[in-house]
Amino acid sequence: MTHGIEWLNVYGGVAAIRAKAIFDGRGLDTERFGNVMMDARSVALPFEDPVTNAANAARPILDRTGTDRIELLITATESGLDHSKSVASHVHRALGLPASCRMLEVKQACYGATAALHLAIGHLAARADPEARALVIATDVAVVGAEGAYAEPATGSGAVAMLVGPDGGVLAVDPGAYGLHSFETLDSARPHPDRDLVDVDQSLVAYLSCATASFADYRNRVAGADLETTFDHLVWHTPFAGMAKAAHRALMRDQARASTAAIEADFARRVEASLRYPGLIGNLFSGSVYAALASLVDTARPAREARVGIFSYGSGCASEFFSGLIGPRSAARLAELRIGDQLDARVDLDFDQYLALLPAARSCLVPQKDKDIDVEGHLGLARAAAAGRPLLALTGVRDYRRTYEWIN
Amino acid sequence: MINETLVFETLRDTTLEVVPELTAEQFRADECLADLGCNSIDRADIITMAMDRLGVVVPIGEVHSGLKVRDLVGLFAKHS
Repeated sequence: MTHGIEWLNVYGGVAAIRAKAIFDGRGLDTERFGNVMMDARSVALPFEDPVTNAANAARPILDRTGTDRIELLITATESGLDHSKSVASHVHRALGLPASCRMLEVKQACYGATAALHLAIGHLAARADPEARALVIATDVAVVGAEGAYAEPATGSGAVAMLVGPDGGVLAVDPGAYGLHSFETLDSARPHPDRDLVDVDQSLVAYLSCATASFADYRNRVAGADLETTFDHLVWHTPFAGMAKAAHRALMRDQARASTAAIEADFARRVEASLRYPGLIGNLFSGSVYAALASLVDTARPAREARVGIFSYGSGCASEFFSGLIGPRSAARLAELRIGDQLDARVDLDFDQYLALLPAARSCLVPQKDKDIDVEGHLGLARAAAAGRPLLALTGVRDYRRTYEWIN
Repeated sequence: MINETLVFETLRDTTLEVVPELTAEQFRADECLADLGCNSIDRADIITMAMDRLGVVVPIGEVHSGLKVRDLVGLFAKHS
């Protein structure tokens, strides 16, 4: 048995809008639509926030496994609700986790969940208790509007939950096989709770440079590693699907000196299956690379053991290339959670409906002493999409205390 | 320090390779890559490929959106 991800679930909301509807509604250049490679993005309802997303991603897993032996809860987010109190503490209560569970929130932009995954594996390996488990949840919300231009149709809200343990049935993480590359820069940030700051050129160049450098570090640690032959599949941090294609092209050019036609064929064979869910949800920040992993497993449905190379990048910036094994067990576990069906069941909003929801979504992280939430007004929509699934809802804020309730 | 003419020619040739619809005449020092029709991925490709070809490592913190071709040439030359 190898430590890794035992269960993996993606929560991509209960409402979505087609990327094309935002392109049309905002008057964006439709010639760039192909470059972004997005079909849709999730849209948060007024009773959704990073806590509800996290709990709604984790609940289907815990309904199967129970919560008794979860000894560590880490929420990874760049959508924090407080400078002191963690998102994890709200999630701990909502999910009924044991009082004997360590809990904390981590932040390193879109790399946070990968850092948390590796720290959780290290923690469990040191514990040497075969029953102990860790729950790592990447959870975020979009606060972008028209000023974000092409980022608006590509940025989503939601969460990815990973149950981490000694039997990595979804992803058995290769021990000691990783490469890192980190340095300080300001390519993107969230300096206010309702404002993203992005230097697009710096961020994309940083991402591509980190992909090359992280893989070089991986190769230094893993004897004989070869980008073309070691990995059956490659999964990239996917802020928008077109970025994964660019990263694959850059690394193949750097490592394999491959022709354009050979790179295209390799992309279709080893990468394309990972882009379905990211292309339906939008950028899930630190969850995006794991939404891509879920997409790969659900789409490729591996019939035999297969090695996946995974690249995680977070602005600011930190990055890691690591690897692991997926196989028939991964496909069976993810099939149980019916992630694709639930994404397809989301309510399809038109542009006017999206605009009506946008102010609440953009301000959901802004501290307010008191706040009323119209849960009832959106229940019909949520219930239609949730199809019987329990959903956690934010019911209000009183004297800065957020209250939550399971609905449905 | 690499000659600025070589940097300009490398950036130009790389840009024409990434965006074949452009002509050499359109690639001028006072233009931004975005204004030439290069999308964000094209621009990242052009900058990383030119760094590789020239053997120059430009600190990422000095790469910004909206730089003109002459600014990029200056950056590459400065860090060569």
